[in-house]
Formats: sequence, C-alpha cells, structure tokens
Amino acid sequence: MTITQTKPGAGVEFRALRRTFGSTVALDGLDLTVAPGELLALLGPSGCGKTTALRMVAGFDHPDSGQVLVDGVDIVGVPANKRDAGMVFQSYSLFPNLSARDNVAFGPRIRKVDAATRRARADELLAMVGLPTQGDRFPHQLSGGQQQRVALARALALQPRVLLLDEPLSALDAQVRLTLREEISRLQKNLGITTIFVTHDQEEALSMADRVAVLRDGRLEQCATPIELYHHPATAFVAEFVGTMNRIPGRLTGSGRVEVAGQQMPVIGDVPTQTAVDVLIRPEDVRVSADVDGPARVVTVSFLGPTTRLFVELPDGIGIKADLATRQASGLGPGAAVRVELAEHPVMVSASR
Amino acid sequence: MAALTRRTRVWHGLVLAVFGLYFAAPLVASFVFTVDVPGQGLTGQAYADILGAPGFTDGLGLSLLLAVATIVLVLALVVPAMVAVRLRPGRLGTVVEVLCTLPLVVPPIAFVAGIGSILQLGPERLSDTPLYQTFLAVQDERFPVALVLSYTVLALPFVFRSLDSGLRAIDVPTLTEAARNCGASWWQVLVRVLLPNLRSSLAGAAFLTLALVLGEYTIARILTFETFPVWIVKVSGSEARLSVAVSLLSLLITWLLLLALSSAGTRAKTASEE
Amino acid sequence: MPTVATTVSPPVPDTAPAVSGRAGARPRRSSATLAALPLLVFVTVFFGLPMVAVGIGAVTVTDRATDTTTLTAANLSRSVQGAYLDALTSSIKLSLITAALGVVLGTLLAQAVVASRLPGLRNLVVTASGVLANFGGVPLAFAFIATLGISGVMTELLHLTEAGWSLYTPAGLAVVYLYFLIPLMVLVIAPALDGLRPQWREAAANCGATGWQFWRLIGLPVLGPSLLGGFVLLFGTAFAAYATAAAMVGSVLPLVTLQIADALSGNVLIGQEGVASALALDMVIVAGLVMAIYLPLQRRSARWLR
Repeated sequence: MTITQTKPGAGVEFRALRRTFGSTVALDGLDLTVAPGELLALLGPSGCGKTTALRMVAGFDHPDSGQVLVDGVDIVGVPANKRDAGMVFQSYSLFPNLSARDNVAFGPRIRKVDAATRRARADELLAMVGLPTQGDRFPHQLSGGQQQRVALARALALQPRVLLLDEPLSALDAQVRLTLREEISRLQKNLGITTIFVTHDQEEALSMADRVAVLRDGRLEQCATPIELYHHPATAFVAEFVGTMNRIPGRLTGSGRVEVAGQQMPVIGDVPTQTAVDVLIRPEDVRVSADVDGPARVVTVSFLGPTTRLFVELPDGIGIKADLATRQASGLGPGAAVRVELAEHPVMVSASR
Repeated sequence: MAALTRRTRVWHGLVLAVFGLYFAAPLVASFVFTVDVPGQGLTGQAYADILGAPGFTDGLGLSLLLAVATIVLVLALVVPAMVAVRLRPGRLGTVVEVLCTLPLVVPPIAFVAGIGSILQLGPERLSDTPLYQTFLAVQDERFPVALVLSYTVLALPFVFRSLDSGLRAIDVPTLTEAARNCGASWWQVLVRVLLPNLRSSLAGAAFLTLALVLGEYTIARILTFETFPVWIVKVSGSEARLSVAVSLLSLLITWLLLLALSSAGTRAKTASEE
Repeated sequence: MPTVATTVSPPVPDTAPAVSGRAGARPRRSSATLAALPLLVFVTVFFGLPMVAVGIGAVTVTDRATDTTTLTAANLSRSVQGAYLDALTSSIKLSLITAALGVVLGTLLAQAVVASRLPGLRNLVVTASGVLANFGGVPLAFAFIATLGISGVMTELLHLTEAGWSLYTPAGLAVVYLYFLIPLMVLVIAPALDGLRPQWREAAANCGATGWQFWRLIGLPVLGPSLLGGFVLLFGTAFAAYATAAAMVGSVLPLVTLQIADALSGNVLIGQEGVASALALDMVIVAGLVMAIYLPLQRRSARWLR
C-alpha cells in the first residue's frame, strides 16, 4: 500500500475533565494522557463516561471544566469541523445518499480538493480497508462490516492526527468483529496514528490496545498495558471488571496475610478495615484434583476447547470457578469428589458483600 | 446528546404556538359563532334545535346505514383476498395492492362522472330489459346501493393500508402453520386465529370507513341523495347557525373517534414491542 | 373530501419471512385466487366500468335524434379551451401554491416537533395530524365560514373585511386547504425527519463540514424524495378537493372540480356530459402523472431512511 501517514500522530491529554448532564455526573475529573502513535482503549461499564470523553476530542461535547490538549494545545474552544480528528461511529453513520467512494471523498470535497485527486485518494483508502471494488455501492447495499470499513476509510481521508473509534464493532456479528479487530490494529500500527478506542468489551480492549484505561463513574481507575491490567490490577474494581474473578470469603489475619479455604496467602493492594473480606482469585489460579476423600464436589463442567471450566462447590457451600487444561480435567464429571488448592500468589481482597 | 440551545427552544415554542393557534381558531370561533347570537347574547339554542331540525334524523340515519353496509362489504371483499395473498406471495399480491391503491389516483368527482354515465344507461338503453329493474333498485333513495358500491371503492385504499400494516405485524404463515398443525380447518384458522390477531387493524379499517362515509359529499350530491353532509349544505342556506353547530359537532365526534382509535393503536403497538 | 389523503405510516420492515418451499400448511394457488376473486371482480366492475365510461364519454358524442354514437375529439378539445381551460389552470395553480405552502409549513411544524425531543408532544401532533389530514370536507368549510366568512367571528373581531380580506377568493380557499394539507405533510415528513440520524450531522462536522454544508450536501438530498413526494401528494389532494370548495364558494371560483359538478348536474347547457367526462379524464391524467412521480420516490426514501 502506498498510503502513509504524512503527519505524525499527536499526543492527547485530558486534564481534570468534568461534565454533568443534569444530575448525572458523566466525567468527574478525568486525567489521562495518550502518547503519540499509541492505541489506547477506553474501557468501562456503560455510563462510565468513556464515550463522553471521546466526543470531547471530536468536539461534539464540551467539558464543564477542564482541558482537552492535543500536542499541548487546549482545543476545547475549537468547533467540531475545525478539529484534526477522524471519527468512526458505532453504526449507521455513512451518508445514505452518497456512494462508498463519495462518502470517503466527503472530507476532501469540503476541503476543496479537486475531483480527480479526491477520487484517487478515496479509491486508495477503500483498497486499504479491503474494499477495492465496492466504491460505487451505496451504504444500503453494503453489509454492516463493510459499512464500518468505509466509515474507517472516511475517518482517515483527511489524514487526521488522531483517530477516534466509538464502539465501532459492537453492532457487528461475532465473526466479522474478530477479523475487523485485527485489521484495525494492523492499520493503526502501519499508519502510526494516535487512536482512542471506546469499548465495553474487555476482550476487544485487551487484544487490540497498547494500553487500556479503565473508567468508572467518570474517573480513571487504572491505565496500563493489557498484561499489567490483568495480572496487577490496581483496584478490586479493575480486577473484577477485567477477566473472570472468583470472590471467596476469607479472614484477614494481620501482618498482611489472609486466610482463605484453609490456606494462608499474602495480600497486595488496599486492605479494608474489617477482618471478614472477599478474596479475589482468578479461575486459572484454582487447582482442582480428583480425590475420593476430597471435601469439595464438582457441580458442572463446561468444555471450552483447550481449557475446561469446572464449577466446584466447597464444603461450606461456596461456589467457585476453576479453569483447567482440558487434559487434566478428564475424569472429573459432575458429582466427582475433589480437592481444591489456590495458587500461592499474593491476592487482592475486597470488602465482602 | 448535545443540549438544545435556548434560542432553538424559543424558536420551537413560537412555531408550535402559531400552529396551535391556526388549528384551534376555527373550532373556537365556530363555537363562539353558534352560541353568541347578536341581540340575544349567549344561547345554546342552535344545539337544542339540531335534533328537531327537519331532515336531520333522515340524513344522519341514511349516512349511518350506508356506513354499516360499506364496512361489511369492504371487509368481506378485502380480508380474504389479503390473507390469501399473505399465505401465497406472488404476482397476485401485486395485483391486489395495485387494485386497492388505484382509487387514490381518481378524484371522486371524476369517479362520479363515470358512475353517472353508467346509471344513465338504464333509462336510455335498457328500459325494456330486466336489467332496468336492477338499475332502479340500486338508486332506491331509502337505501341507495349505488352509493354503497361507490363508497366501497373509495374506502379500498384506507382499508388496504390498515390491514396491510396489521398483517405485517403478525407472521401469517407461521401462525397458520401452527394452527393447521393443531388440527384447525381453514375456516377455523381465519376466524379463530387470524381475525382475533387483526382486531385492532380491522377496527381501524372500520373506523376510517365510517368517517369516510359520514363525511362524503361529492358523490351523494351529484347523484342527488340526501345524506348527512348534503343535508348540512342544504340547511346552511336558511339556518347558518344550525349548520355550523352540526358541522362542529360532527367534526368533534369524528375526530374523537379517530383519536381514540389511533391512541388505542399506539398503545397496542407499544405493548407488543415491550 | 379528497380521498388521496391516506394515513402515511412509517416504513414497516416486512417481518414475514420468505416462505418459499414451505408447502405443508399453505393453500393451493387456485384457492388463493378464489379468495381474492370477489375483490378482483368487484374492482373491475364497479371501478373499472365507470372509468371506461369516463373514457368513452370523453371521446364520443351521441346524437339523441338519431341515437347514433360517433367518435369525436370535440369534448377533449373543448375541455382545454375557454372557461374550462381557465378552471383547469386555476385548479392547478391553486393546488401548486397550496402544496408548496403545505410542504414548507408542514416541514417546519414537523421539525419543531421532532427536534423538541418531547415524545408526548410528538405523539399528540402526529395523531392529531392523522385525524386532521383525512377528514374535513363540508364541516370544515362551515367552521371556516363561521370563523373567517363575511360575518365570521374573526372577521368581525379583527375588522378583516376593511383590510381587504375575503374567504371566497383563491387566497381564502388556500387558508382552508392548508388546514388539512399541513397535517398531511407532517405525516409524510415526520418519519423522514426521524430517520435523519444525528451521526450524519456529526460525521459531516467531523469531515469539516459546516451546518449549511451538511444540509446542502446530506440533509436536503436525504429528505429530498420525501419532500418531493409530500409535495406531489399534497398537490393531488388539493387538486381533487371538491366538497370544501363547493360548500364554501359554490361556483364563484372557477375550479375544475366545480365545473365538472356543474356539467353533471345540468346547471349549464344540456349535452354537457361529454365535456364533464373529458374534464374528468383530464383530472385523472394529471392525478395519474402525479402518482407516477410519487410512488417511486417514496420507495427510494424508505430505503434510505430505514
């Protein structure tokens, strides 16, 4: 492909952003920095303010207070049509009266680029997003995945310094979602364009992003690489929001240790004041072995391919999930008596609920 | 969502106020006209006179009779055809749709010009054939079948649209297959399964036809039958206040009926969407 | 009352699945035809024959003395000459003007209602429009006579006669027609306005377009078919209107519907049926052209605004 980003990606910074809608607080003092050329995912439950933050970069929403800086310049007062950020919307954003090519060429047309040049540029972009022969089709003749590819090409047509993706895959079928996910990552790496990607799908965020920012109630909980986020969550909220997590009741014994399921484990992170707590343990850190005298029972078995997830009931009635390599799970059917052990990692605890 | 600016709010409010005034003014003014008689002050006499006015009960009675006959005929014609077309999609469906939409293209006054020519054939050409009696019968002024037939034609587009949207909302082939699977005969499928599910759109079609017939003036006037609207125009020459009072009442009653119908329709729709 | 004014419902997706290959519970083709047969026969006879009669009446003349019918172009040529031509052109002119006003005012009202983002108000206006658009006729005419007629309440209250106002002019008739044309336009355009997605506006801004550029390049082209379709529908409705005009102005104004009625009722010379048929045929041709424009447009906008 001949397309190269002629402008380098810009750095984006949110400073103390605050935005309220009536009595709901969408952003409650958000501070976040996006490095030039980075793909950053904004992850969080719905209503956490992630889309609001994104729309502020595009100029569709304005903070009550705080700043949005692009390359160190506050852009809050700049109108939406004068900003240097291409956006891909969740769905149905293509202009229905224009062909795919004319949709992509819309921005250049507004900027008074001559017809031949913008046509060539549009065809080049369409080829880049994998639609080399669909330029004459109208949006209603394209599938959902194809429409989002065109929308991506349109967002890139003005060679913006920031690319904004607002849940661009959430309206698509699972299979299309997977392919498009990979293509967006590839394109972004090739172009080196700073990209902010809003999603509520943690798998999407973890697989695509250089760094993931987890938002909750309009504030930043943690911003880190996917691996860091998964293995060293900063808060109990992040720990539970990212990946699957067991909550097992335990008791703080002082000196930074907790007693849980008959084992003593070191504690990391914040510690609540009360002694009765929930211990957070990932399913892959739960070891299950067949043992006729074992106190626990297997309740259900779900085969997931390379791994198998067991739902095991402990003697005191607590249910926990355990992920085993499928080979080790053979012979463990529902009702089997088992012994449960927890991997000896430091664990996070949270106030019991 | 970006909040609406104050200026747009004021602008919208202004637009709505002006239109509200335009649509309310004739109703309010008509009411004032009927109750405020110069020299007598406020009086409800115009309304009291309606029931006793000569020709009122005859005109209204005739219009109601025509309405009922038209509703029965139009539903009996359209319902089986549309259900059959749903079960057997194909060219027939297009034919039915085109036939039912076609009357829209023809203004009633042009339609009645044709009816007039046909009815004239009776005395002119067929006076010594048995058909002549038929021509006389359809123009019987106590129950003019000619009007029922004409109104059925005029009502076709309304009834078609109403039933079409009703049929789109239910999956006729699956419902029918389920009922057949449970051992229902074709008749039972229609009466026990499909019609109950089409109740609101059938009611809609019936109400629209009722309103159409009660308000139809062109054809009745040209064929010289004294239906309700024709009577209103006739009486207006001598009793201006009375004719306005009747007009106002009939407008309000028709509108209330239709309003009740369409809000019932919206409720049923939202209920099914939940 | 014009019957062109049908309730326009937003495009409903066809939920019935394709049923090809499901033979089990379907009636045979012949019985489907049988069920539709009464309707087909009815329309052919009671709609088709009158229309044929109009066609024949327009191109033939019957000599009563000899009882012979001969082909002639005289009726048709008379129908587009002199007073008849005046009536035809003033009907078309009145319909064009009221339709244009109806499109602008109806769109304005619908935009105010849709943009207000108050679902209650929206439902109320759309429901009321469905009612107002369809039925008026004689009662509406009398309501306006009582309001804006010579001794109408508003006329006397605001001294409109001194200001040169008369209800019994084309302008007066236009005010009355708009009472059902504006609601009709609201019904046509409200779903189209709903279909204008906020994303399009934002995407346009994101590509650098100003508000005006958005409307010129995206908004109006997308609404275009609906606006034009609405115009055509309003034109047809105004063109066909008879009851309102007849109850209000009698035969004072030259309108083609009133001319046909006069010819049919024998208010003028005997032997006018031929001209009446010719005028009726003229109307059907105009209305038919109008529908031929409207239907494809509606399909196109339904596809865009899904």
